[in-house]
Amino acid sequence: MKKFKFYMRIYIKILVQDIKSKMSYREDFFISVIGIIFTNLAGFISFGIIFENFPSLGGWNYYEMLFFYGFSLVAITPMQCLFDNNWNLRGYIYTGDFIKYCFRPLNLFFYYISEIFDIKGLGQLVFGVIMLQYSWIHLELGFDFITVIELLICLPTASLFMIAIMNLAAATNFFILNSGYVMVTVFKFTDYVRYPNNIYNNVIKNFFRYIVPIAFVSYFPSRVFLTPDDIPPIVYVSPILGMLFFYISYRAWMFGASRYAGTGS
Amino acid sequence: MKPIISLNNVNKEFKLVKRHEGLKGSIHDLFTREYNIIQAVNNISIQVMPGEIVGYLGPNGAGKSTTIKMMTGVLEPTSGEVLVDNIIPYKNRTLHAQKIGVVFGQRTQLWWSLPLIESFKILKDIYQISNATYQDMMKFYESIVDIEPLYHKPVRQMSLGQRTLSDILAAFLHNPKVVFLDEPTIGLDVSMKSKIHDLINAVNREKETTVILTTHDISDVDALCKRIVIIDKGKMIYDEGIDSLKKHFGAYRTIKVKFEGDNNLRLELNRQVVKKLQEFISDKVTIEEDWISILTNEKDKSAMDILNYLQTIHSINDMQILDISTESVIKKIYEEDID
Repeated sequence: MKKFKFYMRIYIKILVQDIKSKMSYREDFFISVIGIIFTNLAGFISFGIIFENFPSLGGWNYYEMLFFYGFSLVAITPMQCLFDNNWNLRGYIYTGDFIKYCFRPLNLFFYYISEIFDIKGLGQLVFGVIMLQYSWIHLELGFDFITVIELLICLPTASLFMIAIMNLAAATNFFILNSGYVMVTVFKFTDYVRYPNNIYNNVIKNFFRYIVPIAFVSYFPSRVFLTPDDIPPIVYVSPILGMLFFYISYRAWMFGASRYAGTGS
Repeated sequence: MKPIISLNNVNKEFKLVKRHEGLKGSIHDLFTREYNIIQAVNNISIQVMPGEIVGYLGPNGAGKSTTIKMMTGVLEPTSGEVLVDNIIPYKNRTLHAQKIGVVFGQRTQLWWSLPLIESFKILKDIYQISNATYQDMMKFYESIVDIEPLYHKPVRQMSLGQRTLSDILAAFLHNPKVVFLDEPTIGLDVSMKSKIHDLINAVNREKETTVILTTHDISDVDALCKRIVIIDKGKMIYDEGIDSLKKHFGAYRTIKVKFEGDNNLRLELNRQVVKKLQEFISDKVTIEEDWISILTNEKDKSAMDILNYLQTIHSINDMQILDISTESVIKKIYEEDID
């Protein structure tokens, strides 16, 4: 517990400093904010075009689709904001700069990840929340104490899956030098998070459930709210699966890091 | 007293993929893997006492960085024992990190866009440095180097020298028992080098910090180290005090003398003297324009004797006595090892 408090304090300190320094690059900050708005708008527009042509998809109507979409944006946010430094791993390993993270009396994964807070991810969160609320109202889902609890369990679980997927993808950098493509490829899959898993054919469906489990990021948890009478059984164990999966991804990352030898200097 | 760093019969092997030449070779490499075993560190044993400053030298690729990485806990030795302050570094990396400071030249460990003072404050939290110790250390730093102007400068705006200085200050901040400096003065100007030398010497004196330093710069060795360890091709070839380094090659000195008189007279004199000297000094006697240069081993013939003798021949206009440089001694050690 003491250790947890210590780590939290360090984390917040580093985070605040990082945000402060991000603000000091003002132009970059504003351009990024504008960029993230346009990226999300573009995603949303292409989504709208699909629905102009098909009134429903896989049995889901427009607002239900919007719900999946909004839920995915919210669930992805922690990965985007807090685990963004995974994207720099390839460069750090290639140049040998990764070694600098090995000399602090802190957990290596923690110290590495804490360094960057990607504030741009928050823009996405805003989009996600608005979509979720909008579809929530139109679907007349109702809102009480139970839903709050459900949200508090389902959203972090979904985020854990997303984080774990990217951690594992990032960990491949330790084993295959200059393997940026694994991360890029896996990240591309996350574009499919927003679509309900049952619209795909069997191969892809199962691939997204058990190989790159993005179905757990939006499809499964959203079912808790959209079809409360027909929740797939696996959803009930998903919080444990999520934690387990995150733990595995953490161990893989750490194992990779311990193998890391650095370039000669 | 117990050694603070103790390496016993340490080996480190790397398995490297054998690469073939050309495009054909590259395609071959894609499908088949052959490995070469590289012995980066070969049976090295070093004991370092608390408070020592040890220069760890060797040509490029000798295995210096590998040894440092094993001592800092980044690498696990293939065999042998590494102990730093009774800890096996790679097994207890986090605990170990609390007790050491590391600077890898040119690779800053500070937060790139933060002003120095903010970096220090984060380090204060990470290493759980008490307020009193922190204040003490800052005062101590301010008394040695002029760092106040750097406090509010983001690291990315610093010159290489300022950045290296900041990195070294950061490495000593939590008052570690051992500090590893890997080529700390690489690419720095003379004045910054001397500032860094002063700093390291002062901290070593005041806080009794043990310092392990790798460098290619002999001015670092001359200014800081009382003991040097030299390795080449992974093997240790020298481990002794800096004084005996020079004795290792005899007490060589070069004497340069310029006689009075015009050029013609000097030319004549020089020629005579060289002939006479060569009879009883086995070492090199050469003429360099107006000067006669004599390399003598002081064990056989002292520089004073030679000067006295020269004075009896003709009055001397100018003279120089040069010690053999550490650099040329170390160069000789590297070269002797080639056989």
